[in-house]
Amino acid sequence: MGRATSCSSSSTASSTQLRKDLSTDLRLGLSISNFQQDAPNSLPRVRDQTSDWPPITPLLRKALEVEDQNESNSVTFFVKVYMEGIPIGRKLDLLAHDGYHDLIRTLDHMFNTTILWSEVEDGAHSEKCHVLTYEDKEGDWLMVGDVPWELFLSSVKRLKITRA
Amino acid sequence: MNYFPDEVIEHVFGFITSHKERNAVSLVCKSWYKIERMSRQRVFIGNCYAISPEGVIARFPELKSLTLKGKPHFADFNLVPHDWGGILYPWIEAFAKSRVGLEELRLKRMVVSDESLELLSKSFVNFKALVLVSCEGFSTDGLAAVAANCRFLRELDLQENEVEDHRGHWISRFPESCTSLVSLNLACLKGEINLSALERLVARSPNLKSLRLSRAVPLDALQKILMRAPQLVDLGTGSFVHDPASDAYNKLKATILKCKSIKSLSGFLEVAPRCLSAIHPICHNLTSLNLSYAPGIHGNDLIKLIQHCRKLERLWILDCIGDKGLGIVASTCKELQELRVFPSDPYGVGNAAVTEEGLVAISAGCPKLHSLLYFCQQMTNAALITVAKNCSNFTRFRLCILDPIRPDPVTMQPLDEGFGAIVQSCKRLRRLSLSGLLTDRVFLYIGMYAEQLEMLSIAFAGDSDKGMLYVLNGCKKLRKLEIRDSPFGDTALLMDVGKYETMRSLWMSSCEVTLGGCKTLAKNRPMLNVEIINEDDQIDFSSDDRQKVGKMYLYRTLVGPRKDAPEFVWTL
Repeated sequence: MGRATSCSSSSTASSTQLRKDLSTDLRLGLSISNFQQDAPNSLPRVRDQTSDWPPITPLLRKALEVEDQNESNSVTFFVKVYMEGIPIGRKLDLLAHDGYHDLIRTLDHMFNTTILWSEVEDGAHSEKCHVLTYEDKEGDWLMVGDVPWELFLSSVKRLKITRA
Repeated sequence: MNYFPDEVIEHVFGFITSHKERNAVSLVCKSWYKIERMSRQRVFIGNCYAISPEGVIARFPELKSLTLKGKPHFADFNLVPHDWGGILYPWIEAFAKSRVGLEELRLKRMVVSDESLELLSKSFVNFKALVLVSCEGFSTDGLAAVAANCRFLRELDLQENEVEDHRGHWISRFPESCTSLVSLNLACLKGEINLSALERLVARSPNLKSLRLSRAVPLDALQKILMRAPQLVDLGTGSFVHDPASDAYNKLKATILKCKSIKSLSGFLEVAPRCLSAIHPICHNLTSLNLSYAPGIHGNDLIKLIQHCRKLERLWILDCIGDKGLGIVASTCKELQELRVFPSDPYGVGNAAVTEEGLVAISAGCPKLHSLLYFCQQMTNAALITVAKNCSNFTRFRLCILDPIRPDPVTMQPLDEGFGAIVQSCKRLRRLSLSGLLTDRVFLYIGMYAEQLEMLSIAFAGDSDKGMLYVLNGCKKLRKLEIRDSPFGDTALLMDVGKYETMRSLWMSSCEVTLGGCKTLAKNRPMLNVEIINEDDQIDFSSDDRQKVGKMYLYRTLVGPRKDAPEFVWTL
């Protein structure tokens, strides 16, 4: 997941600036439309009927929300995730995942990289990988994957992805 | 000059059914205009504020079927306040006063009151078909009036409406003498339905071909209903949940085997995946399958189902099918013409979402594909270029990347080249929706290549006024343009004001157009209504013209500013 780069060959400097502002605004949740966000995030996370993105009808939105509630019992546990070199972080619901494998798959996808954690063999990957660590309640930074998933959930405060 | 008597010309015109062609024919000469207007039976009004009901009646006194559209398209996504307009009642009132023998009414995005439904049901003796799509403002009381009074009703089709459900057995209001039903679509109703009344209604409707049930109809009721209607061609199930070991479920399995004519299947508004095997036997005949309201069916069950559907021409599903599932669709459904993939998790990261891989697989496997709506996590230029090469038949291409300004994740470039390839390759493209990171360049391509384009939807795209200008100058057949959150301003808006009279409408929200720009546009243009939607009193009319306008909607019209605009809508 990278920053949006503005690649405009035919526009003036001021409009390029506007475009960058727009993308930054979206990422900071200060967009000019109705997005309401609780964290710097590139996707609007409003769960109410005034949401206007993505462009799906209210009926479909409701149908999906009902199913979502049925499945998740509405219990969530969001933690912040930062990647080294990118000042704006993401938020992730750990309870929406079955375990470490599921979490790593989500993070690989979210940050568009390959993530190493304690179950992965060293030396089998190129330099382009990242390592996943977490901060626990005592403020220590540890590698993800050493303790059982449930124990991890009870002690994790936030996640960090650093270059390998 | 006419070498034939009028009756012969009229007979010839009888073979011309498309609205566009009839409009063209009516422009040839006065005589043809007169013959055409006296013989036109089906009238299509794309914008209910473009003309008055009296005007329609005056020109087409013999009309039998009317199609009316109200709110702008972006109303589907909560961008238009509820009481903006699009009110049906004046139309029914005017038609009721006239001598028009209305038989069919098809409405989209209109506000339909119970009073208007009641007046409708009592005013037209031969009324046969009511189709309401994305409408609101009515309750089951209005439906009861239609059921009770329209003695020859053939079609009652409710699609995606907001209906207030009162406790009342409106289905029971269909008289015993009503045996003419061909199509009944109740899928959007939320409340309880009198199941035995429904079953009896189906039993006395031998011509019933299309039946779509609401969530309140459970599996066992479905079985009883299907026993009465084995001739159904189009079925929408309600709730599809039962213990697979039960009698009721086994009965259903047996009954479904008798329904050899079902070609179209939808519903599953509530579903237990373990019950799906009951429908496997009819899958091989299906040409249309809509599972977009069934988030309870996950990837593997979807795949198992689709593997039986070799004749599918239309498929609407959720993205939980995944790229792998789309690969199965590509290898199974060689007749596929229309695909819609909706987001099952509109807010989240979406592990089960689809990416460019799924689309590429579909484009390679389905040579007849021409209509696409695709919500995805990401898209690449390479993928779009491949899709363009594989499938040059697209007439409708709508792509929605959930993160609206996401670039190509592989190259980090905007998606200009990808969409450029699509418009260059698909020469018959009529409708296009863009998303992802896009600069002015994509609009240059659209202006150059999209010669048949009639409708364009733009969100979070472009760098400058040039983008909008490329489109307005290049797309000669453009009818509807809707833009949100893009940096287009007064310069683009005002460059060619005559263009808007060749189009049905223009929507711009959260762009750079100012109050002054809109006022300038509206000046001296009696054929255009320029409306500003001013929610929350954002704009003070008397003050600064340099204020940016939140939402602007303009459309061509023969009848000037509308008289039913609410307080927050200003016609300039």
